[in-house]
Amino acid sequence: METDRTWQAADGSHIDVRGLNPPEPMVAILTLLEKADTGDVVIVHHDREPIYLYPELAERGWRHEIIAGEPGEVRLRLVREPA
Amino acid sequence: MTIAATFLGGAKSRLLPASVPFRFFGAAVLFHPAAWAVLAWDAEAAVGFTGGLGLPLAALHLLTLGVLAGTAIGAALQMLPVATRQPLGAVWPARLAFWLFLPGVFAVGHGMGALHLWVLVPGGLAVSAALALFGWLMVDNLRGAKSLPIIAAHGWLAMVALAALAVLGLLLVFDFQSGLLQDHTAAARAHLILASYGFMGMLVMGFSQILVPMFGLSPEPPVLWGRAALLLSALALAVATVGAVANDVVLMLAGAAIGLAAAGAHLWTMAAVMRARMRKHLGLSFLLIRAGWVLFPLSILLGALDLLDLLGPRGGTLFGFVLLFGWLLTFLLGILQRVLPFLASMHAAKAGGKAPLVSALTAAMPLKVHAICHAGALVLVAAGIVAESPVILRLGAVAGLVGALAFAAFAAEVVRRMTGWSLGRTQK
Repeated sequence: METDRTWQAADGSHIDVRGLNPPEPMVAILTLLEKADTGDVVIVHHDREPIYLYPELAERGWRHEIIAGEPGEVRLRLVREPA
Repeated sequence: MTIAATFLGGAKSRLLPASVPFRFFGAAVLFHPAAWAVLAWDAEAAVGFTGGLGLPLAALHLLTLGVLAGTAIGAALQMLPVATRQPLGAVWPARLAFWLFLPGVFAVGHGMGALHLWVLVPGGLAVSAALALFGWLMVDNLRGAKSLPIIAAHGWLAMVALAALAVLGLLLVFDFQSGLLQDHTAAARAHLILASYGFMGMLVMGFSQILVPMFGLSPEPPVLWGRAALLLSALALAVATVGAVANDVVLMLAGAAIGLAAAGAHLWTMAAVMRARMRKHLGLSFLLIRAGWVLFPLSILLGALDLLDLLGPRGGTLFGFVLLFGWLLTFLLGILQRVLPFLASMHAAKAGGKAPLVSALTAAMPLKVHAICHAGALVLVAAGIVAESPVILRLGAVAGLVGALAFAAFAAEVVRRMTGWSLGRTQK
């Protein structure tokens, strides 16, 4: 399902949480991760490093890495770990 | 750039080194059993305590400065940069503040308990200097706040209250030595209002707007109610403080009535957050947080009833106990037991790669023991005050001490598991 903040691309599901106040980005990202049609890779477009998200990702079995993004953007690649 | 920002310049990350918040949390964990132990030690004096030097006042300040302020400083240093979206100006003032805070609180506790003014005065000065450094860091950060104006405004109110309570606190300390105040009791009452509902209360209400949704995984709290709680709190604090200084019961009652409305607005926002949360099972920590939410308005109500002389001779003691050990301690211990493993996991993740699970860092048994003992302590000490029974009060304080030791065991276990996880990763 696509919204104005989420879309699908060849490299996985994307979510743009730039401009949202905490804890809205965390809630939006975790909501996406819990959807059945979300694949095993999610790309997050953020305006800051979501340090408070990391423990929640670990609890849900997702790894994270920061990848190259636009200037002023923090882009993360989240990968679901094998069960 | 402000002068302070220029001078403080340096820190680059919104995430402080783990040692900064953890040293304040560690101090809070150590002062917690000390506060209960000192209360148990002189239960005879604590039953009818209404002020003045002695062990009950020492227990009170080990709690308020050591546990409550220690937790609030650690959390504020960690949370405010996230809320304002800008890093703390520098880390060294926080470290320096800690090395003034730790011996300062010990000295204040010892000076008050042993009636050693030559220890109390330098202790009070050291704690005031620590609070001034902390306040400076907060104000510098708040001046550049880029988001979450309601949380930032709560922070500003807390800083105003901090400045006023610190000045009043020093005046009260010097008054023990030289008798410079006309009405020591009125100043002490204003100091209590500013410290509990002002400094601590505003930090609790402000950071609840971000911490509770974060832990419950809820959307942003309703802005209108948050704004109403803020404005009513500011008004209540001003009216109650002026009433306390002027010894005007009507003004203090008006402050309590407005304060009750502020508490209602705040609790309404928290209820909305809880209704919308994604995480259904919140665990033991939220049991304490919910208990804190009940005890917050109850403390104001008890304060008002005591002003109306409807609680008998021990009304003031009961009000102070429910306010400090009831609302603030219960709520903050709920937050602290959630924050400690969460921060530990977050800092490990920041170091790179996979974070340890929060659940794997949390030892459940000590927290259960703590919750049971803490609940028992609140009931027994309150019953001891009402029944004017030092025996019941001492039993309650000992239960609180056992609970506090269990909480310390939980905190030590978080650090042990965290260290073990980090060492294991380094050796891979």
